[in-house]
Amino acid sequence: MMRDRLEDFALASPGLLLIGLGFLFPIAEMVRLSVVGPDGGFTTLHYTRFLTDAYYLGIVWRTVYLSLLITAICAAVGFPLAYVMARVSPRLRLWLVVLIILPLMTSVVVRTFGWMVLLGRGGLVPSTLWKLGFVGRNFSMMQTEAAIVIGMVQVLLPFTTLSILGVVMKIDRRLEEAARTMGASFMGTLRTVVLPLAMPGILAGSLLAFTLSVSSFVTPSLLGGVRLPVVAASIYDAATKTLEWNFAAAQSVILLVGVLLVLTPYIKLSGRRNG
Amino acid sequence: MLARVSQITATLLLAGVLAAPALAKDKLVINSYGGAYEQIHRKLVIEPFMKQYDVDVQVITAYSADALAQLRAQKASPQFDVIHFSGGQEIVAARDGLISPIKASELSNAKDLYPFAVEGLSRGEGPVHAVAAIGLLYNKDKAPKKPALWADLWDPAYKDHVVLTDLSNSYGLLGFLMLNKVKGGDIKNPEPGFTAVKALLDSAVVVSTSPELQQNFAQNDAWVAPYAQDYAYTLRKAGLPIEFVQGQEGTPGVYLTANLVANRPNQDLAKKFIDFSLSPAVQAGWANELRYSPTNKAAKLDDALAKEVIYGEQAVAGLMRFDPVEVDAARASLVERWKKLIAR
Repeated sequence: MMRDRLEDFALASPGLLLIGLGFLFPIAEMVRLSVVGPDGGFTTLHYTRFLTDAYYLGIVWRTVYLSLLITAICAAVGFPLAYVMARVSPRLRLWLVVLIILPLMTSVVVRTFGWMVLLGRGGLVPSTLWKLGFVGRNFSMMQTEAAIVIGMVQVLLPFTTLSILGVVMKIDRRLEEAARTMGASFMGTLRTVVLPLAMPGILAGSLLAFTLSVSSFVTPSLLGGVRLPVVAASIYDAATKTLEWNFAAAQSVILLVGVLLVLTPYIKLSGRRNG
Repeated sequence: MLARVSQITATLLLAGVLAAPALAKDKLVINSYGGAYEQIHRKLVIEPFMKQYDVDVQVITAYSADALAQLRAQKASPQFDVIHFSGGQEIVAARDGLISPIKASELSNAKDLYPFAVEGLSRGEGPVHAVAAIGLLYNKDKAPKKPALWADLWDPAYKDHVVLTDLSNSYGLLGFLMLNKVKGGDIKNPEPGFTAVKALLDSAVVVSTSPELQQNFAQNDAWVAPYAQDYAYTLRKAGLPIEFVQGQEGTPGVYLTANLVANRPNQDLAKKFIDFSLSPAVQAGWANELRYSPTNKAAKLDDALAKEVIYGEQAVAGLMRFDPVEVDAARASLVERWKKLIAR
């Protein structure tokens, strides 16, 4: 018995070491930096500066509601997609999975540049809207919150879809057949049978999408620009542009705590579902 | 075994000692800024210098702020011979005794330099070897007219086609300080600038990096943007019809200096290197390759090239410099104020 534990520990140790060195140690250092004042002593100055300033709270609000919106869209688009993927022939499913995963093979930056071309002044989307008579000629979708949402949904959709797919695949088809025999419509079956059973996947996928989008940096900065700052961009600016490392660390801690706060009820919820 | 190892070590050491005088060339350690700049730096200055004086020059890539930090850390035993700065760090370095004063008489090219380039020598700073001028970039094909003043940014003729650069970018910061000055402010009082920029924001695009500026000129129908002269050249090379105009109210610039590091054994050679950087041929080379303006009056440029840099007494008279120490001290608060202003 003891020996088993030792072996377990030996097996886990490289991973634990990596977590310690690559995660816990930097986090501890970041927490320490966030409370160091200009004179080297302890201070909560950086936190009060962030939490009492309407500008920074505005950034937090933008980050949170954009992330919620992105997550909701990913789940709403991802669920039907995953359902269809689970129900088609294995051959077609393979192609659909490849199709979904393919964008992940290119860097986020490259994909975002693609959106910059499509959404910019004279790009495909604005010029189509212009030809349809909806907007003026020099309309641009760049540097809008809509651009951030579109770009982020494209980046995160594969994560949501694949985590829902995993769960939907395991749902017994006979349950749906039973529901249909009992007189439920197709939509009724989806709503009362498939959706509840797929909930753990939807929750896991949304959780992934939310945490990734709250902390995302490249896509919001490139598509939203400097006039629509999000928390990650604000941290980047403080760390690299104005060299206020302590302030950057404080913002990072706030972001981390915020994500953890969102995670906790989610984990409880999905834990209950799974149990 | 041990005896054998020490024997081998001794032999190697002896060999090293014997071989050293035959191999050793004088060596300088300098910094450069990496990328295209460093390539041109090697081609124009470093390699010709090595050939001419038969010495080695080791290049360490370090931007100005980083270079100053390294210099500070190495104060007890400095590792650089010549240090280049672009953000006014020489003022701090001279004050802290990290760099040695150079006399104008020690530089053969000093007599040909414009006064602004040697002005820092009396304060213990190195000479200015090149200037990146800040002015107005405009699209000559699309803009309805050529801008002449900084104040023209507010001209309704350019409405919806102005691009401003974020203050986290150092060209953006200098451009803003100039707008602020034009509107009656100074570094200590940036309010006139912020108020004036606020009036532009509804119809202007704000970018934070050079590539974004390029994208706006290429795709977003941008007509005018305050930015650096060398970048206008980069845009022209990318096929865009962009010209640079010196705003009549003045031309702020980024001043590139070459400084002599204190407490190094090889200062004579280091001075030769600095002097070499100031030579007319090298400076003409910088203008030709990257459109940095020469600080040496004797640098000969052909007419076409002369139009694309700050060249000649009259143009140079327009050059001005915001006190880098004051700029640095105000940077964080200016950037934060700016971010709050532009955030939607």
